This record gives sequence, C-alpha cells and structure tokens, in this order.
Amino acid sequence: MIALQARRSHRVERIALVGLRFAAFFVILAMAALLGYLAYEGTKTFSADHVSLGEFLFSPNFAVDAGHPGSAVFIAGSLAVTVFAITVGGPIGIAVGIFLAEIAPARMTQLLKPAIEVMVGIPSVVYGWLGLTLLVPLIRTHTSSPTGFGLAAAGIVLSIMILPTVITLSEDAFRSLPPALKEGSLALGATRWQTITRVLLPSASSGLAVALILGIARAIGETLAIQMVIGNATQFPQGLFAPTAALTTEIVTDMPGATQGSLLEHSLFSMALLLLLIAMVLILLVRFVLRRRT
Amino acid sequence: MAVREKSASSVAATGSVRARKSADALATAILWILASSIVVILAAFVLYMVYLGWQALTPAFIFGTPKETEAGGGIGPEIYNSFYILILTLIFTIPIAVSAGIYLQEYARPGTFRNIVQFSAESLATVPSIVMGLFGLLVFVYLFKWKFSALGGALTLTLLNLPALMRVTQEALSSVPDTLREASMGLGGTKWQTITRVVLPSAIGRLTTGVVLVAGRIFGETAALIFTAGLSVSVNQPYDLSPFHTAETLAVHLWYTHSESIVKDVDRIGNGSALVLLIMVLVFNVAARVAGRALTKHFTGRTS
Repeated sequence: MIALQARRSHRVERIALVGLRFAAFFVILAMAALLGYLAYEGTKTFSADHVSLGEFLFSPNFAVDAGHPGSAVFIAGSLAVTVFAITVGGPIGIAVGIFLAEIAPARMTQLLKPAIEVMVGIPSVVYGWLGLTLLVPLIRTHTSSPTGFGLAAAGIVLSIMILPTVITLSEDAFRSLPPALKEGSLALGATRWQTITRVLLPSASSGLAVALILGIARAIGETLAIQMVIGNATQFPQGLFAPTAALTTEIVTDMPGATQGSLLEHSLFSMALLLLLIAMVLILLVRFVLRRRT
Repeated sequence: MAVREKSASSVAATGSVRARKSADALATAILWILASSIVVILAAFVLYMVYLGWQALTPAFIFGTPKETEAGGGIGPEIYNSFYILILTLIFTIPIAVSAGIYLQEYARPGTFRNIVQFSAESLATVPSIVMGLFGLLVFVYLFKWKFSALGGALTLTLLNLPALMRVTQEALSSVPDTLREASMGLGGTKWQTITRVVLPSAIGRLTTGVVLVAGRIFGETAALIFTAGLSVSVNQPYDLSPFHTAETLAVHLWYTHSESIVKDVDRIGNGSALVLLIMVLVFNVAARVAGRALTKHFTGRTS
C-alpha cells in the first residue's frame, strides 16, 4: 500500500515536471516565433521591394507611393522623445529612488509606493488623454507653437510615464548595497548627503544604469500616449514645439490604411522589427552591465 | 572597499561642518519636494479627470451602446469587451506563467536552458506593445484568418503579459522561507507535494496581489489590441459571447474616438471613458491589496 502510494507520487512528480518544463519552453517558443516572424515580414522591404537598408535607415524621404520608404524622420523622432524623457525623467526618478531607500520615513513610503503603483496602472491612453486636454492647450497658450502638439508635449508625457520604472529600479539598487558601506561613511563623520553622493551613488552605479536603460526601453516603445500629442507630422523634430513623429506613432497612424503586401505595409513591419531589435539590444546591455558588476 | 572608506574619511575632512550640514539639509529638502510632488501631481491628475468626466458618467453613458455618427453614444459594450478580453487573457496567462515561474524558481538548475528561458522572458518583457500587436496581426488575423477577434486580442495580450506574471510568481515563491520547504521534505513530502501543499499556499497572497495588479494593466492595454481585437464592437449583438467577435475595448475606444471618429461629442466620450479607466485602475489596486492580505492571513495566519 505504502509502496503503491510512493510509486504514484513519483509518477505525479514526473508528470508535473514535464508540464512545468513545457511552460518554460513555451516562453522560448513565443520569443523565437515573434523574432522569426517579424524578421521575415520586416525584411520584405529589402528582399521583395529591393530597397537598400541604408535608404530605409538614413533617408528622410518617406514617399512610399514613389517607392521611397526612408524612415530617418521617425527614427530621429523616436530618439528625440526618448532622450527628452530620460534627461528629464531619469534624474528625477533616481532622486526619488534615493529618497525612498535612504530618507523617506515609513509614513511617506506608505504614501509613495501605492502612488507609484497607480502610476504604473494608468493606461497609456489615459496619459495621452491627459496630455491632450491639459498639456497641449497649456503649451499652445504659453509658447509660440500654433497647435501645442510636438516634441515637448510627447517628451513630458513620456518623462512621467517612465518614472515608476526608474524609481523602483533605482530604489532596489540602493537597497541592495551592503549596510556597512553607509555605516562606515557615517561613522567617519560624513553627512547623509555626502554619504549618498560619494559612497552610495558610485557603488550603486550599475544598478542605476539598469534603471535608466529599462527606462529608455519603456520610452522608445511607448505608442498611444505620444501618438495623441506628438502631432504626427512626417518632418524632423524642429525644436521642442514643432510637431514630428516617431517609429511607434507612424505604425499606428498608417497601419490601418496599409494594404497587405504593399511597400507601406512592409516598411511599417520593418519599423516594428527595428523596435524589436532595439529592445533586445537594451536587454543585452542590461545583462552586460549586471555581469560586469559580479 | 578600502578605497571607499578612505575617500569617505577625506570627504568628511573637507569643508566646514556648517557648510556640509547646510548642503545636507538643502539636498534633503529638494528630495522631499521631488518625492512629494509626485504624490501631488498624481492627486491633481485624478482630481482633474474627475472634474472633466463626472458629468459624463450617467447610466445611459455607462450602459448604453456606442453610436457611429451622432452624439449620445455609450460605452456599455466596450466595458463588456474589456472584461471579456481580460478574463480570456488571464485564463491563458496564469497557468503558463505560474508553471514557468515555478519551474525557474523551484526546479531549474543554472545552465543553458534556464539561461535561454530567462533571456526570452526578459526580451518578451521589453517588447513594445505595438510590436506585439503587429505580431498578433500577422498570426491571428493574416495566418489564422480570424479577422479581428476577442480571442486574437487575448492571445496577443497573453504573450505580452507572460513575463510580468512569471516575475510575480518567482517573487512570491522566493518570499517563502526555505525552512518550510525543508520541513515538508523532511516529513517525507515529495518536491511536487511540497510545492502544491506548502509553498504555493504560503505564496498565494503575494501571488494574488501581483496577478490583480497585472490584470489592471491588461484592462487598460491599448496598442496591442488595435490590430488584433479591432476598432468596433460586435456587429451581431453588442454583448457577443463568441470569442471570435470584433471586440473594441474601452481603452481602444478612448483612443479611436479621439483620433478617427466623427461623432460630435468626442470630448464627453473621452472624458467619461478616461475617468472610468482611471476608476478601474484604482479599484484593481485596492482589490489587489485587500485580496492579497486576506489570502495570506487565511493560509498562513500572518498579517503581512
């Protein structure tokens, strides 16, 4: 009886492990299918339509009807909004991360943490709607911009949207430091701020780099929030208050009207492939930074 | 280490004590202001959305059907579709993500397979949702010929949210102390018995909190659904049960009405929809905490 039960639980054990392993394998399969299918579909611009990679990446001439899918404008737009977001949101996020890890009293933490979780939960379109109803009119009335749409509006919305990522990861970076580091510095007579800037910040630098890289990944892939406020004009970013477009916003704007198999559709898939490759490079960068630390 | 300690001591020696103390006070004040302003800005957002949208929230709006060309349309079917896709997504995502999470946390030894699984999960987690949407378009709309469907949307969201739920599972499992596992194995439990009867019940509270928070994100997801679940509600009936019906969700509706639609009361629909989405985010956040706490207390007797 006992032997029978033991044999049965051994069988259950084996079946469970097979199931679990299959689930893990499914994750690999999903990523491989995504990469493979998008690589196939995204390179048709070059294989079927015979556009050169150089023209796609570096030509600003986006006239698909005439056979020119130059996407330099959208690449520049994506880079511009991302740089804006990480320059504004990055330092603020790290500062709040420091605050949470080193300064905040328990009551403030209890207020900030749920607030940050709500910020993560607010849908992208709601950020876009806020930008549209609040930020764009504000920019329109206070600057020379005739519409209010453009790089600044998109950049500000993105800066806010990447905050939760940067804050949470930089807080983790500070919390994972050995307490002896801080105690040693304080015991030697350094103030808290000296300890933070000269001891903790340098020691946490790889963790902070990861926080910024993942903030960049979040920013460059964001779509609808910025599509609603960037202006969607196929032109290079001409100053903060002129409308422009990014890779993601171009995909959303033109995909509904693209016929299957057209150069327009192919070039939009090429942009998606480019975004996917950027995301993967950023993940490799994160792994590189973390490996160097250990 | 030695270098750092040395630099700290030399730092303390530079500058007068008063200058160092006032720099410290100033920096502390700035950090307090930055952190508080996040709470203040968020509160301002919420109040602003309430101010804009509360008048729109009539029963006719919340339960009514949308209109294509005239004013006065509601969002009933959109709310229904959001929940329909959410539930379908969770049905697919939870078993796969929890299993994969258990495998990584409890079984996998360091090695190539685990490395590849982890790299795939991390990559999948950074895939922009619009890119996942195009993948869904290729697979479910073009290849499977499902047209725009709730099922295609839900499967796309499954891929998008797998890594987040795996993370949640791994973190919940890692919070269970090893002594519990050792006690169970020591009493003769097998690994699987230990996981299902000891580890999972102890982790269920945290797991639930994480799942409900992810559910909140699925509810508001937009970019991945535009080209998979579609931009209109079902043509057969507004509350369609078939998984193959075109299923515009509330978040997609907010975007679509603003950018493409020709109805006159775009602002009213936008303000109302945005407020409903915001309220749902708050509901999911509170529910996540309450449910997590209750389950942890029920299964472990602990209160945190």
